[in-house]
Amino acid sequence: MSLSLLLPLGLAALAALLLPLLIHLARRSEQQPVIFAALRWLRFKPKPRQRIRFDEWPLLLLRLLLLALLALLLARPVLTGRDGDDAWVVVVPGVEQPERHLREAGFGQEIEPRWLAPGYPALNLPQPIEGLPAASLLRQLDAELSPGTRLVVFVPEVLDGVDAQRPVLSRAVEWRVVAGAPSVDEPAPGAPPAIHVLHDQTHAGGLRYLQAAARAWSASGEDPPVTSGSPEAPIPAGVDHLFWLSAAGMPDPVREWTRAGGVVVLSAGVDWPGQASPPQPLWRDARGRVWLEGGALGEGRVLRFTQALEPAAMPVLLESDFPQRLRQVLQGDQPPPARVSAGHHAPSTGGGPWLPVPYDLQPWLALLIALVFALERCLATARRRAVSP
Amino acid sequence: MSTDLIPPEVRSRLAGLRLGARRALGGQGMGMHRSRNRGSGLEFAQYRGYEPGDEPRQIDWKLYARSDRLFVREAERESPVTVWILLDASASMAQRDLPSEATSSRLHAGKVLAACIAELALRQGDRFGFIGLQAQGLRVVPPGNGTRQRDQLLLSLHGLDAGGAFPHADRLGPIWERIGAGDIVIVISDWFDEAVIALAERLAAARREVLAIQLLTVAERDFPFDGGYRFHDPETGEELLGDGRALRDGFLQRFAEAQRGLRARLDGAGIRHCSHCLDQPLDQPLRALFGSAEAVARG
Repeated sequence: MSLSLLLPLGLAALAALLLPLLIHLARRSEQQPVIFAALRWLRFKPKPRQRIRFDEWPLLLLRLLLLALLALLLARPVLTGRDGDDAWVVVVPGVEQPERHLREAGFGQEIEPRWLAPGYPALNLPQPIEGLPAASLLRQLDAELSPGTRLVVFVPEVLDGVDAQRPVLSRAVEWRVVAGAPSVDEPAPGAPPAIHVLHDQTHAGGLRYLQAAARAWSASGEDPPVTSGSPEAPIPAGVDHLFWLSAAGMPDPVREWTRAGGVVVLSAGVDWPGQASPPQPLWRDARGRVWLEGGALGEGRVLRFTQALEPAAMPVLLESDFPQRLRQVLQGDQPPPARVSAGHHAPSTGGGPWLPVPYDLQPWLALLIALVFALERCLATARRRAVSP
Repeated sequence: MSTDLIPPEVRSRLAGLRLGARRALGGQGMGMHRSRNRGSGLEFAQYRGYEPGDEPRQIDWKLYARSDRLFVREAERESPVTVWILLDASASMAQRDLPSEATSSRLHAGKVLAACIAELALRQGDRFGFIGLQAQGLRVVPPGNGTRQRDQLLLSLHGLDAGGAFPHADRLGPIWERIGAGDIVIVISDWFDEAVIALAERLAAARREVLAIQLLTVAERDFPFDGGYRFHDPETGEELLGDGRALRDGFLQRFAEAQRGLRARLDGAGIRHCSHCLDQPLDQPLRALFGSAEAVARG
């Protein structure tokens, strides 16, 4: 551990040390007159003009110390090269019975196990919430530890919160896959919306674009979940999203279906239902043109295309990201895929050596300066007999 | 007014003091001091042969039984003595110790001592007078006894201020005119000036009983000055700039030497003396001079 200064030029503030020295120079009260009748027995001695004397040297020293500490604070002192611990054992949240695994692995009392969570809390504290970005925390831990520290990571079989690639660290990590408790249930991402298209003859052209989008949503090899029918046909069960491609207004069955919790997408030109909230733009392109607007109706939603479903009016139909955008509007943002099998996601070595983060001494120095200042004020405001600097 | 000048604790300690004379002789009248007057008294003076006309009860019959001749026993008559208080009122007497507000000057201490001596003389029935040695002229209070004389003395003390040099020898005439032989003279001064010492020596040589009380300040005894000062002599007007700490040792040595010389001179002249520093209680010089019974010694 060595002390170093991030801004050595800050020490130029030490020139301010001259100021208390000037203030504390003994004043010219040396010529105090006194009546002395026995003068004939005093003999002349040369005046001690050469001696520089300072009044109240304890207060002077305290003020010099205070200014020196302030100059040091300006120079931003840090401690570099801190030696780290020998080994760190971290457990990713989600591991079942971590103490048992630690005991079996042979890690005794000398190493304190920690959770892989912000702040690296000790293992005896309650398990942190899941859903933390494990790969990011692992990279952060690798950057913070000193290069010689050994790192052991216990991961559950299914690892959540990972990056798109295997983490590349600067050291070799012992990757131990143990049994993990199932995580809290979250909606299975990736189920494409099941859509049903009700169209009449004039609007049949738009069906092919919706079918193409549905095919893009589903995994390869599966049938796209799109069905179609005439406007008068009843709505089949199990459908979340309904496309109404007709010039007529919504019939009552559709309206009731929507109010019960469905999502209906109207084509351009259909009257906006009265009980629905005013339409808000939901899909804007880069040039600011609105393609889809929507509002709430009961428990469901009503959306409406602003242009006819044909490429001449809606060139966005031919864009390559049209299916994703349509799905985003219908279902909301999907979480990016972040779950992997832990065995396949062991980090590799090869990352560059991190610059060691030096330990900033400024907060402690500021505290010390506050204490010294309080002491100086006490000393300076104490009662004195003479005029004090 | 006397209560203003003498502090109560000093007044209470005056009780045990007695103005006694060694060489001074009493004058006419009834007093407490020995004198050459013959009369009824307790002190034996001489045996004289019987002459016709002497009172028969003065015949000492024991001596007649031994020698078969008639002798008359004569006793002394105790008489009052005149006490003169001489107070130096030159500028050096105005010196105070620092801080100036908290201490009194030499002159004030001298006034208190003069008042105390007047009290003692009043109790003993002695006559007392006062001479203030001012540069512009002596302030004389002719001797008398009684409380009226004491009040006159206090009035004179009240208006006395220190200033100027010691009065020139030409102005000291009233001293020689008024102070008769056989009087007690108490000189209160700082005794720095040669003129005072010469006056005391001349008085002592002229058969007056002289007592010297020297008043010194703490500054002269200890020299407590630290740091730079401008020392100013009030009588000669000399000034000296110096650092206190550097001057201390030399001053104390020379001053002690000068005091030894002074004491030698006073002893040589037969003058009883005592030195008083202003931070001591004020009855200390009086006790030194008049306190114990041994002080009232037969000369």
